[in-house]
Amino acid sequence: MTSLTAAAPLLDEKVDRQLDERVLHAAEVPWSTVVWNDPVNLQSYVAWVFRRHFGFGESTAHELMMQVHIEGRATLAHGNREHMERHAETMHEYGLWATVEKDDR
Amino acid sequence: MRIAAPTDRKTEPGVVGSVLVEPDEARVLGSLADQLQTLLGDALSAGDVRDTALKRLLPDAYRNDPELADEWRRLSRGGLVDRKIGFARTLSVALQPIAASGQAATISLTFDAALDWVRGIGDVRLVIADRMGITVDGDEGAFSEPGVRDVYELLAWMQDALVQLLDEAQPPGATTDGSLP
Repeated sequence: MTSLTAAAPLLDEKVDRQLDERVLHAAEVPWSTVVWNDPVNLQSYVAWVFRRHFGFGESTAHELMMQVHIEGRATLAHGNREHMERHAETMHEYGLWATVEKDDR
Repeated sequence: MRIAAPTDRKTEPGVVGSVLVEPDEARVLGSLADQLQTLLGDALSAGDVRDTALKRLLPDAYRNDPELADEWRRLSRGGLVDRKIGFARTLSVALQPIAASGQAATISLTFDAALDWVRGIGDVRLVIADRMGITVDGDEGAFSEPGVRDVYELLAWMQDALVQLLDEAQPPGATTDGSLP
């Protein structure tokens, strides 16, 4: 279970901080599915997989594919961990290199 | 080899295209599909995967969290390997009779079969790329046996042609594979 509680807040900060603190249920912690560039799969194939699996339109899928190609990675989805793992597993079925990571907060 | 959309969708319902395969092509591709199944089978028995090609076929889902990565492997690897073996098996089963008979023949593909083909071929390419030492975009690879590059290029052409068939048959968005975006 993830807690946003800081390890040792200074006393005078503590009261203010408590207003924002609560323990998140696992299902509420946002995660993302990331697809990484590889030199093997064709651009047409990667864009098609993005359209087919995530339901993106042609231009969005193309943009994300180009982001993977140029920047080395793109975030394809956000959501709970279980859901992001399913996306990653499906990407692996298609031979794409995908990982799950916790969103920056 | 020739990959074509059906000329008349009414005569063969469910068929999204056909692949004309020469016996030599059937032998090479069939052998690669067989080897892929063996390699994947090794991943199931090995436990700890060391082969870099297998690592690419079955990547860790978590890069910086060994505990989550282990849990993920334990829960998902068996099923994923089984499905990947199934994709390769579809290729082997279709190609074997052509390799055995020595006569070119046309294989009709349903949507599901074409989906197996495009994924099996993609996996074979990943393994060949690893063996050739292709690691970055535009890489020619450091080493390859004669003919391997030709096969790698043929498989690229097949991947692209199959994507076109699948796209024409069932444009993405029309259906999904059961998961929400």
